[in-house]
Amino acid sequence: MSQSLSIVRDLAKHREASVLVMLAAVAIYLAFASDYFLEPRNLLNVGRQASVVAIVALGQALVIIARGIDLSVGSVIGLSAVVGAILMRDTGSETIGLLGGLATGLACGVVNGLLYTRLRINPFIATLGTLSVARGIALLLTGGIPLPFGGFAEFVGAGRIYNIPVSFLLMIVLAIIVHIFAVKTVTGREIYAIGDNPKASRLAGVNIRSIRLFVFALSGLLAGLGGLILAGNLASADPNLGVGYELDVIAAVILGGTALSGGRGSIIGALLMALLNNAFVLLGISAYWQVVTKGLVIIFAVGLDGLQRRGDDD
Amino acid sequence: MYSNGKTSTAGNEPVAGILPSGPLLRARGIAKSFAGNVVLHSADLDLYPGEVVGLLGENGAGKSTLMHILSGGLQPDAGTVEMHGQPTHFNTVLDGIEAGISFVHQELSVIGALTVAENLHLGHMPKTRAGFVDFQKMRDEAVALLNRVGAGGIDPRHEAGTLRAGEQQLIEIAKAAGRNPRLLILDEPTSSLTPHEVEGFFAYVRAARAAGTAIIFITHRLEEVLKLCDRLVVLRNGAIVSERRPAETTRQQLITDMTGKPAIYEYRERQIPDKTVALSLQRVRDRDHLEDISLEVRKGEIMGLFGLVGAGRTELLEVIHGARPLASGKIALFGTPVSHRDPSAAVRNGIALVPEGRKTAGILPQHSVRDNAAISSLRRFSGRLFSDLRGDVTRMEDYRDRLGIRMARDTQPISTLSGGNQQKVVFARALMVDPSILLLDEPTHGVDVGAKSDLYEIVAREAERGLTVLMASSEVPEILALCDRVAILSKGRLAGILSREEMSEDRILTMAFMEH
Repeated sequence: MSQSLSIVRDLAKHREASVLVMLAAVAIYLAFASDYFLEPRNLLNVGRQASVVAIVALGQALVIIARGIDLSVGSVIGLSAVVGAILMRDTGSETIGLLGGLATGLACGVVNGLLYTRLRINPFIATLGTLSVARGIALLLTGGIPLPFGGFAEFVGAGRIYNIPVSFLLMIVLAIIVHIFAVKTVTGREIYAIGDNPKASRLAGVNIRSIRLFVFALSGLLAGLGGLILAGNLASADPNLGVGYELDVIAAVILGGTALSGGRGSIIGALLMALLNNAFVLLGISAYWQVVTKGLVIIFAVGLDGLQRRGDDD
Repeated sequence: MYSNGKTSTAGNEPVAGILPSGPLLRARGIAKSFAGNVVLHSADLDLYPGEVVGLLGENGAGKSTLMHILSGGLQPDAGTVEMHGQPTHFNTVLDGIEAGISFVHQELSVIGALTVAENLHLGHMPKTRAGFVDFQKMRDEAVALLNRVGAGGIDPRHEAGTLRAGEQQLIEIAKAAGRNPRLLILDEPTSSLTPHEVEGFFAYVRAARAAGTAIIFITHRLEEVLKLCDRLVVLRNGAIVSERRPAETTRQQLITDMTGKPAIYEYRERQIPDKTVALSLQRVRDRDHLEDISLEVRKGEIMGLFGLVGAGRTELLEVIHGARPLASGKIALFGTPVSHRDPSAAVRNGIALVPEGRKTAGILPQHSVRDNAAISSLRRFSGRLFSDLRGDVTRMEDYRDRLGIRMARDTQPISTLSGGNQQKVVFARALMVDPSILLLDEPTHGVDVGAKSDLYEIVAREAERGLTVLMASSEVPEILALCDRVAILSKGRLAGILSREEMSEDRILTMAFMEH
């Protein structure tokens, strides 16, 4: 009895705990409210919906842990998909198309990183700029018209292995890799150090410029990957792909337990976001309510955590 | 002059300053424990109007706990507090303020985005008849207040965040002075003030004493309490161990009272057999501050770097460490010219820094003790793919023993350690790099007497093993206790270098003031 109590207490110390509780609550409610929720097909659908947000959130989490923010990911998703589709169409090579799409994401991330570390533009502003520029380029390149997208990307975006969505499996693999990277490598540990106290880290010999550049580049690369998966899933590279994704991604990171002032990260938050999306579809509720509820969930989850930590400044 | 009629004892009470006898405040048997740890055992303290009491003790001796209890921020487990002979009980800090007790904390609480005048009037801004803030009146009052504490040079229209730490400290003091307290508690008020500002601040304290205010002055600087205070109270391990008159005691005596040990670290004469020049600077300049500084430090030597605030000590260390660009001149390590564009490059080349400002530039507050110690040497010990997490554990054990770091576990957040232990962890971090040059910037700032002498011991020991040390300090006793030579900076220029035989407090200060 006392042991189980202490487990509860340990759980309560982590921000993930309140998200987990909410995740369970939504799932249990849906299990009763909808006949379809527990169907394997639907559960897998939830997994698929979660995967793009979660993959992009992996990069975003590292950026936020290092005290940055990347608002451009939604536009990078769109631009990468469009560039990938154009290269695929013009060269006829799927490999070039996919690599080109990833390179586009990486390039966007590097630009963000350079704007921050070399020109010393606040990352909020710098990535707000690239958000607009990248979306504009995607629209210019396509004239606003979606391009067909298929092949291997379609397999990753919409395919299954043993009935499990490929994108979901990819997300799990990437999450494990990023987690090990963050905790076990020197660069990963330095990312956490920078988020905790950038000045002290710099004076201690951490090359904060190159680390910051690296996290933004990685965030761009993963957003590029997310763009290819999303386009593959839809079999179409729409220049408006990923509009508004930055909010879902940042929300997922924050729900996952990363403080905006630097801290830890996890991908549970992305699952909750996907579950909520799914809930609205299954329950047949207006999409507008979906937007309202997402905001409320963030405020509630983070607010719960803030209440537990009260005493920091009052 | 005093906030009138707000205390429970008001009414038939004469004005406090004129009351000839009887203490303003009498504390008896104050005891306090936190989670089973006794922090204060039955402390008795009397405070009289018009008296300045110096409160001394190492970090963790119970000084701030006692002050928080007197000012209402903490409730004692046992004991009584009387004001003017009447039993008093403060539930909150506000109760204490109402009763005329003001506590100026060591941590600055100035709001950076507001002007100085707004900071001084926070919570009670004067209003015009129309209900708007009366800025003119606020500014005039601010000027008067700042003048009172010797900070007449601060423009009340400036944003407080743009001011130096010392100026912000004076604003805190002015804020407390504005309440015209009966009891004023000052926790390390002078730690970031220039010598000139200290004089102005002392003048205020003396004026407040003359007006009948009781003042408690907490500091680690013994020269100051000996100069300013009427009575010195020493706390050790939660108990008051001595009360002395400044005229009848000495530094040595006070240190013995504080630490329970007879002496603090003293300079040890040493031979530096190695004539190798470890670090040489030739006509070093930065973009705006330093001018033509040339300096050679030999291997195993402890070189002091003294100067007043603004002399360029920190800037010079930053240039050597790659944190500040070198505009012209040459820096060489063991004869090899180097130019570091980033501290990471300097650390790779064996130049480690213990920076000024433990909280802002030293510790990673959310990280564990172990991670804090390891951060500089991650790359040195890393495998091809993964960081050497296991090695971190053994290295931490090693340095815990070598530097005498006191902690429960090395996984506890560093912010839970005392200031002196935090600083030892920052030292461990620098030493784990296995540096050939160690740069120290105010290494014992805000550290108690016991930890201070531990740190001196560490520096001397490492120097004896061949480490070259360049130590910037604004405390002459520290330079005298540790350094083989001292370079004195004044307004960004090298004013001179004194050998051990030439060193004295007088000569060092004279040279530091040279270009003023």
